[in-house]
Parts: sequence; structure tokens; C-alpha cells
Amino acid sequence: MLRCSRVTKSLGSKTLFADVSITVNPGEITVLTGPSGGGKTTLLRCLSLLDSPDSGIVQLDDRVFDFNERNKHEVGIPYPYLTIVFQQLFLWPHLTNRENILLPLDTCGDAEQEHLSRLVAKFEMANFIDNYPNQSSLGQKQRVALSRALLLNPKYILFDEVTSALDTRRAEFVISELSDLKASGVAILLITHDTAAGKKVGDTFYNLENGSLQLVSQGVHQS
Amino acid sequence: MVVGGFVGVLETKWRTIGIVSRTFAFAISGVPVLVFLFWLHYPVQSLAGVVVDPFYTAALTLTIVNVFAVAGIVRHGIDQLPSQYIETARVCGMPRSRILRRIQFPMVLRYIIPPLLQTQVNMLHLTLFASLISVDEIFRMAQRVNAIVYRPVEVYSALGIFFLMVCLPINGVALYLQNRFSRDISEK
Repeated sequence: MLRCSRVTKSLGSKTLFADVSITVNPGEITVLTGPSGGGKTTLLRCLSLLDSPDSGIVQLDDRVFDFNERNKHEVGIPYPYLTIVFQQLFLWPHLTNRENILLPLDTCGDAEQEHLSRLVAKFEMANFIDNYPNQSSLGQKQRVALSRALLLNPKYILFDEVTSALDTRRAEFVISELSDLKASGVAILLITHDTAAGKKVGDTFYNLENGSLQLVSQGVHQS
Repeated sequence: MVVGGFVGVLETKWRTIGIVSRTFAFAISGVPVLVFLFWLHYPVQSLAGVVVDPFYTAALTLTIVNVFAVAGIVRHGIDQLPSQYIETARVCGMPRSRILRRIQFPMVLRYIIPPLLQTQVNMLHLTLFASLISVDEIFRMAQRVNAIVYRPVEVYSALGIFFLMVCLPINGVALYLQNRFSRDISEK
């Protein structure tokens, strides 16, 4: 379970969110919505401990990162046990799309190649897998970044606007992949503006607005 | 170049080293190389009460200038690399050594190769200053030959061709490396 409790984060004098609590459970998709610039990505970064909250507690399984006591939180996050697909994707531009996907793997045996082949077929990446990121469209890059994360077999994945540049049909493929991941016990946090897609697969819905996080609904998705 | 690269990396890692190194680089960049060379050759040696072979004085001068020039280029290249690429590699669970080898190094290299090689060509040109403190380098030799045969057109043309022969391959290598490693990666 990935949870943050009473987390507060400010940028300069502006409080992005205060006393926010959210839980991402294994085998569930938690959907986070809210207006642009409302702090969703910052909350994701705090959850993944890329950014330190000003106060509050982040818990990943049995590891507790307490930010209420200065300098007392642990370091060393077990990436890619928990991983992120960023909104801006950040594919390494000097590598081909295939290299981007395979580089993070410690080993690249038959199982990984087979997994990649399956993703290439599912996300229809065959005609651009060996191109460079700057030769690919945003939608193509989103599929590459998604594949890069999925091939790592994480237990927690945090997605930031992962379907924003995809057409309806390909967004459906991604959504179905998220459903498969959920069924295999992976915990997913999905930041999206596409509420229709979120509603299809989401279990718990939060809305972050004006610095406060509201639990909109819980356990609504029926598989 | 190696020392300069090392100093450049240290500058980005330790703030104090960065401040000290940049202060030196700033001071040196404000002094013409010729003045720096003469300063090391005459007043410094006079104050220290030592006499150093002019060759070593010239070598030291150009080394100092080159170290700070290379360090500046490397530091700038490292600073230019968006940290999000490293962050992405971290969340993908990549070990630090692989991030350095496969992401940071190749990406920084593409930023620094052209200015780095251009700097080395400039350094080669600066070696001519060594003749002014009596180092028997190629320009001084050409002057001597010309003093005997008095054929300035031939002698100095030959000198120019010699420099072309040395510098053109370096420029060629720079161009090759630039094309090889600096593929346009900007977003279309």
C-alpha cells in the first residue's frame, strides 16, 4: 500500500496543498483529477518521494517516511518497484525508442523480449520502435514511455496524464492494459483529465482543487 | 583536457570548488594569454628567485589556460543537461553507474564536443606565443630560417600550410564527432 497522510507542500509562499491524505492500494486504480496547476503532479512527486513534502508521512508498504521530523526520513526508494510515467515523458533523446524501453532492464533475456514484442503489438509500435523520440509523435512517445514502465514489472505505477495525446482507439488499448495490470495486483495512480477513461477503470476517485483533496467516490468500478 | 574535464565535473558536484575554480577562470579570462605568459616568465620567476626553462613556462601557461577553458565547457555541458532525464532513469531503477555511462556521459558529450575541439585548435595556435619567450617552437624556427634565406613568402606560406595540415585533421575529427554524436535531437 502506498499512502500519504496529512501531507503539506508549498512552493515559496504558495501552499499547493495542505493536510492531504491519499491511499493507493494494490489491485486498484486510484484516479486523481483536478484543474491544471492545482498540484496533482507535485502530489505525485511527493508520493513517489522525488520531492520531499514540507510535512506529513509517506508510507510504502512497511517503509515509513516521516517528514514531520526534520532529517528523520529514510532515503533509498525501491525504484522501479515503484515507478512513474511523467506527463512530459522524458524519453532519452539520444537513444531509439527500443533502446529507451530496454535500457533500464538489468537483463534482457527471452522473457523481456517476449514482453516487449507483446507490448509492441498491443500498442502498435512496430513502425516507429526503432525511430528516435524526436522522430515520433507525442502519442507514439506516450506509448513508448508506457512500455518502458510496464517492462519493469513495477508493483506501483504512477501515471501522469498518460493518455492525453492518444486517439480514442489507442487510449482504449492503454486503458485495457491498465485493467490487466490491476488484475495482476499492481497498484496504479492515474492522474487524468479524461474522466470518461478514468471512470472506466478507476476504483477510487479523488479531486485536488484549491489545495485540498476530496475523496469523490470509492469502490465504484465493477469489473 | 583530462584535468580540465575532472575539474569541470568537480565544479558541478562541490559548490566550494565551483566558486574557487570559476573565480580563477574569470580572473584568467580577463588577462590576455600573452600577458599571463610574460607574467609567469619574468616577474613570478624573479620574485621566486628561480629560473625555469621557457619551454616549461610556456607549457604551464597553456596548461592553466586550457584546464580552466575545458573545465568551463564541461561544467556548462553538465549544467545544460535537464535533470529530468536523470530523474526518469532513477525511477526506472537504473544504477548510478549506468545512468552516468548511458545517459549523462553521451548527452553531455554531444554538448561539449564542438567547443572542446575548437578550444584545442585555439590552444595549438596559442603555442606561437612561446616564441616570444625564446622557446624554439615552429614560428621561431621559421623566423630563423627566414633571417638566413630571406624568403618570407615561401617560409611563412610553408608555416601556414604546416598549421593547416595539423589543424585541418583536428577540425575534420571535430566535424566527424559532431555528426556522429550530435545528431539533432531537438523536438520536431
